[in-house]
Amino acid sequence: MYMESVIECKNLTHYYGKRLIYENLSFSVPQGRILGLLGKNGTGKTTTINILSGYLRPRSGECLVFGENVQTMNPARRRDIGLLIEGHVQYTFMNISQIEKFYSQFYPKWNKDAYYELMEKLKVAPGQRISRMSCGQRSQVALGLILAQNPELLVLDDFSLGLDPGYRRLFIEYLHEYAKAENKTVFLTSHIIQDMERLIDDCIILDYGKILIQQPVSTLLDNLRRFTFTVPEGYSWQIADDKFYHPSLIRNHIETYAFLKQEDVEQELREMQVPYTELKCENVNLEDAFIGLTGKY
Amino acid sequence: MLKPILYKEWIKTRWYFLLAILVSIGFTGYSLLRVNRVIGLKGMEHLWQVMLERDVIFIDLQMYIPLIIGILLAIVQFVPEIQQSRLKLTLHLPYPHYRIIAVMLLYGILVLLVCFVFNFIFMSVYFIGILAGELVKHILMTALTWYIAGFTGYLLTAWICLEPTWKRRILNIVIAVCVLRVFFLSAVPEAYNSFLPVLIGYTSLTVLLSMLSVYRFKTGQQD
Repeated sequence: MYMESVIECKNLTHYYGKRLIYENLSFSVPQGRILGLLGKNGTGKTTTINILSGYLRPRSGECLVFGENVQTMNPARRRDIGLLIEGHVQYTFMNISQIEKFYSQFYPKWNKDAYYELMEKLKVAPGQRISRMSCGQRSQVALGLILAQNPELLVLDDFSLGLDPGYRRLFIEYLHEYAKAENKTVFLTSHIIQDMERLIDDCIILDYGKILIQQPVSTLLDNLRRFTFTVPEGYSWQIADDKFYHPSLIRNHIETYAFLKQEDVEQELREMQVPYTELKCENVNLEDAFIGLTGKY
Repeated sequence: MLKPILYKEWIKTRWYFLLAILVSIGFTGYSLLRVNRVIGLKGMEHLWQVMLERDVIFIDLQMYIPLIIGILLAIVQFVPEIQQSRLKLTLHLPYPHYRIIAVMLLYGILVLLVCFVFNFIFMSVYFIGILAGELVKHILMTALTWYIAGFTGYLLTAWICLEPTWKRRILNIVIAVCVLRVFFLSAVPEAYNSFLPVLIGYTSLTVLLSMLSVYRFKTGQQD
C-alpha cells in the first residue's frame, strides 16, 4: 500500500529568471482527498503542477509522488498518475476510437467502458476527429481517458478553462463521483472557485511567494467570516493587524475578513479604538474566502 | 510499448507519407522521362556520350527533394507535439522519456527509408536496363548524398521543433542550415564518395540533438 501522503512537496523554491515564484513551499496531499490549489494569476499554480508532473525542475526542494521523486520516478509509476493539461489538450489528430485504442495499450487497468460511457453522452460518431470537437466535448474526451486509465492520483491543471457552465457541471459531477467512489486522490487547479467549492475537500491558497492557508474547505468556511462596519466620514483605517485580512474602505464602510467570532472582533475594534457602528458578521463561500484572504488587487 | 507509439505516429503522418511517396516518385519519374526523351530524340549513344564526356547524370532535379521530404516529415510529426505543450502528454506515458523520442525518430527514419528505397529501386531498375553498371553506380552514388541529406534534414528539424524556446530554436535553425549546406557544396557527381562515411556518422549523431531538446523541455526551459 502507498504511504499516507500521495503527494509530498518539500521546501520548493522556484524563480523565473530573477523573479521569485515561491520560497520553501511545502505541502502534502493525503490519500483519498481532493485538494484544490487556489491562487491569483502568477502565484505559481501552473508552476506547481509542472513541478509535480516532472516538467519543471525547481531551483531547490523536491516533490515526491507515491514516495518517489518525480524527477527520477520509475516510468511505469506514471500509470498511476492521470494528468489533465490546461485546456484539455489531447492528440487532436486522432478520433475518439483511435485515441482510446492508443492509450489502452499503456495501461493494464484500462476501463474501456468508462470512456465510452462518457462518449455516448456527447453523441459524437466514433470516427469524429478530436480537432473538430468543441472545447466542452474535448474536455469530456480528456476526462474519459483519465477515468479509463483508472489512476490512483489525478492531477488536473485548470480543468474549467474554456468550458461553458453545463460542461463544467458535468465534469465536476463525474469527477467527484468517480474520486469518492474509488477513493482516488485528486490535485487540481481552477480559476473558477465556485467549481472548486463543489468538488474539493481541502484547499491550499497561494499568495505571491508563499502558502497563505492549507486546510479542509469546511474548516475554512466555518471559521472565516466577513465583517462590515461603518466608521465616521474621513476616518482612515491604518491599523496593521494580522488578525484582519485585507480591510477595504469605501466611503465610510469598511469590509474585512477574520478568523474570529463577532464578539472577539468587537473587542479587538474597541481595543484599537476604532469608532465603529453597525458591525455585521457574515459567513462566506469559498470565493469570498479566497478574495478575503488574498485581496481584490 | 513500441506498437502504440508507432500507431500514433502513423495516424499523424500517414497522409503525408502517401504524399511524400507520390511526390518523390513523381520527381523521379519525371527525371526518368527526361532521360527517355533524350534517348528518343538523339539515341542511346548520345546519352552515354553526354554522361561520359560531360559528366551529366540527368537526375539533378531531385537534388533537394529528399531534403524537403525529410524536413516536412519532421514538421508534420513534431509540430503537433510541441503545440499547446502536447509533448507533456507524450512524456507522461508510462515509458522511458528518451526511449519514446527514440521510437518516434525511428519511425520517421523508417518512413524516409521506405520512401527513399522505393525511389532508389525505381531508378536502379530503369537505369540497369539502359546503362552500364558503372554509370548506374555513378548516378546512384551521387543521389545517395542527397538522400543522406534527407535523413539529416529530418533529424535536425526534429531537434528544432522539440526545442522549447524560440531563442535557442533560431540558433538551432542557423546551425542546421550550416550543417545541411555541407551536403550541397559540390555539384560534381560523386564528389562526396570518400566523405560519405563521415556524413553518415554526422547524421547518426544528430539523433542525440533531439534528446537534448527533450532534456531542456523536461527541466522547464520555456519562453
